[in-house]
Amino acid sequence: MGAPMSTATPAPPTRQDRTASDASGSGVPRRTRDTRRMWATVWRRRALYLMILPGAVYFLIFKYLPMGGLAIAFQDYRPFLGFSGSEWVGFDHFIRLFTEDTFFLLLRNTLTISFLLLVFAFPVPIILALLINEVRLRFVKRSVQTIIYLPHFMSWVIIVSLFYVMLTTDGGSINNVIVAAGGEPISFLTDPAWLRPMYVMQEIWRNAGWGTIIYLAAITTVDTQLYESAAIDGAGRLRQAWHITLPAIRPTIIVLLILNIGDFLELGFEHMFLVMNSLNREVGEIFDTYVYNTGIVNGQFSYAAAVGMFKGIVGLILVVLANRLARRFGEEGVY
Amino acid sequence: MRRNQLPAIAGTAACALVLTACGGDGGGSGGGEGAEKDTISWMSVVHTPTTPETDGVIESALQDYTGMEIEFQWVPAANADEKINSALASDSLPDLVDLGNITNTTVRQAMTQGQFWEVEEYLSEFDNLSQIPPETIESAKINGTLYGVPKQKPMARYGVLVRQDWLDNLGLEVPHTIEELTEVAIAFAEDDPDGNGKDDTTGFYDREESFQLGFRSLAGYFGAGQRFELNDAGEVIPSFTTDAWKEAMEWYRSLYDKGAINKEFVTLQKQNQYDGIYQGKGGIVVTGLFEARGFYEGGLAADPDTTMEWALINDMTYDDVPRRILTDTNGGMGGWFAIPRSTVETEEELRVVLGFIDSLLDEEPFTLMTNGIEGDHFEFDDDGVVSILDQTKWEQEVQPFASSRPSDLVVTFPSAQPYVDLGNELMEENAEYVVLNPAQSLTSETFDARWSVIEQQANDAYNQYMMGQIDMDQYEATIDALGGEGLDQIVEEFTAAHAEANG
Repeated sequence: MGAPMSTATPAPPTRQDRTASDASGSGVPRRTRDTRRMWATVWRRRALYLMILPGAVYFLIFKYLPMGGLAIAFQDYRPFLGFSGSEWVGFDHFIRLFTEDTFFLLLRNTLTISFLLLVFAFPVPIILALLINEVRLRFVKRSVQTIIYLPHFMSWVIIVSLFYVMLTTDGGSINNVIVAAGGEPISFLTDPAWLRPMYVMQEIWRNAGWGTIIYLAAITTVDTQLYESAAIDGAGRLRQAWHITLPAIRPTIIVLLILNIGDFLELGFEHMFLVMNSLNREVGEIFDTYVYNTGIVNGQFSYAAAVGMFKGIVGLILVVLANRLARRFGEEGVY
Repeated sequence: MRRNQLPAIAGTAACALVLTACGGDGGGSGGGEGAEKDTISWMSVVHTPTTPETDGVIESALQDYTGMEIEFQWVPAANADEKINSALASDSLPDLVDLGNITNTTVRQAMTQGQFWEVEEYLSEFDNLSQIPPETIESAKINGTLYGVPKQKPMARYGVLVRQDWLDNLGLEVPHTIEELTEVAIAFAEDDPDGNGKDDTTGFYDREESFQLGFRSLAGYFGAGQRFELNDAGEVIPSFTTDAWKEAMEWYRSLYDKGAINKEFVTLQKQNQYDGIYQGKGGIVVTGLFEARGFYEGGLAADPDTTMEWALINDMTYDDVPRRILTDTNGGMGGWFAIPRSTVETEEELRVVLGFIDSLLDEEPFTLMTNGIEGDHFEFDDDGVVSILDQTKWEQEVQPFASSRPSDLVVTFPSAQPYVDLGNELMEENAEYVVLNPAQSLTSETFDARWSVIEQQANDAYNQYMMGQIDMDQYEATIDALGGEGLDQIVEEFTAAHAEANG
């Protein structure tokens, strides 16, 4: 998940300000008093702040400091000349991005796939979690859970290779079945029309089981008395799930949804890179693969950085918007 | 890949991929206070599925011979470009970099911007390096400057390999013309050449790099040039725009439509292609003539009872086009061993690294990297014929080093392995008919900046045409559109450079 903001904000909580302003009015300037109070609080809770430290340092070093590298998006970066020696070109790379045809292709492909994932892949773990929750036998429940987690631990390389072997028209098992049933072989791997369904199904297969963990954890917090009283009132299992379980895990769903929306342009490079080839590139090329191809393969580092930065900014805006929306509807949001 | 700062990505990629690059940088390049340099970190490309283990027998033997501590950073051939690019971007280069793709835009820019040492003036100081033929040095230059030690290869290694046992089963002759080859390909697809009663064979067994390798070589028989060619108007044009190339495409497509090429070759990876060949799925491979030996060994490993035999063909011709063969080695130049200025800082250190390359050109290290250790991997019989003792062991411990040899041509060993001697002989014959790239030593700024992107699009269009997604008109339209993306300018600049170079 890609929204590393908020976790690292070390600023003192808002409660501090409120208490400070309530008590204000005496001769000492407010600001100094606030600062002093703040440090006093920090000192009093030093153990807690000490515990934050490793996390804060991690984000600082691995997330915030590297952002300095974004500067190359405004340069014509040449490795040999380095940061200091490369020429500054202002917004040239962004202008190029927004004026090239590829931009709309990338935007369309990325949005389409993200949207498909949101519609088809996002609800699957919720449904799965509800189903698993209803299973009576502990043994069956545990085995099912373990088995559906498994794909999450396989790398995309393995998964895509498995699918390759099954889907190829050169003797792939699925096509063999289709042919045996009297059909025409389908070129799943090269037909642009099949790329998106294949992509979404692979995503579901790999991540749905893993995604259930959080929902199952949320479900365990539901007060069992609620179910008992609902049962007394004559509610069946379906009604119980609809009126008790689902509302109970709604905050979890919302939080995950917001985080998901933050990743809307951030599909991840690996999966698409592996299933894409020159025949389905027109529907498969997304921002992540484009950054890789232009940046790493073709060595246009600055341009690739500009594309990546654009993607990041859009992601940030989306998270903020989604969060606002969630709060407006009375949910908690992620911050 | 969460946030998107490229340096971070490139940096971590370089770290992760090159393994020792980040951690071992300090140790690798050492040598501050005039201390004699005694370690060489070497980024080397492997064409085999596995890399040899660190400090394995060959590596130790090489260290003993050269007196240098060698730190290999192995890079699989399929990812060589991206790994070299990220190493360049993050400046985490080792002492010695094996650069095989001479058209890689980033590499060329890095060279002309001075990221690597200019080596020409030093070569004469070394016994072996001074012997590199002047033609090889010429073809290795960019803008008239030599930025790395050229790797010496045979002029042209490609040819057509055809399953001899299948030909025999069907009563066909070894094909020597494209017309005959067409017949054989179709027969292999339709007439059950392996006699197992199943429709499980095809003619050509190609892979995703068809545009760059297999098909490109075939198009050469039709008269297409080596990447670029000089047309009648005196222009230097890319060969994928020529009529001969398109004629070859139409021919290849017609074979594809008849099922005489494996169906999804545009997605097939090298190792899967080899597995398919070993298992007898296809009977024609356009590849290096030296591959026949590996195919045979692989076939034997897949099925000890195999009847596999290969016909090696180096004299394929088409219609009235005279016999010719496109070079797969840039005319005997398989890339550079380049030495970065950032890690090798002084001339003394440069001489040490060059001396290291020079010593690898001696016969003993060449033998080590070709055959392995005598008595352990191979043995000589009384006539000096080499036989490999344990094929698997050789493949794991020795073969990966073969592509790191600064020259393939130090000694030609007679071999007990079938096809090796024949392959060597046929590759030598190729030299006489070789077609070279007229643009190779010419300069075009646009080429250096944009070629990778343009070639990618042409490659995509080729694949789409082969799979029937687009027709020839659309292929031509795509190629025309490339003109506006810099191709016209490349042609202009090369043509001007060519005119200047040739008076």
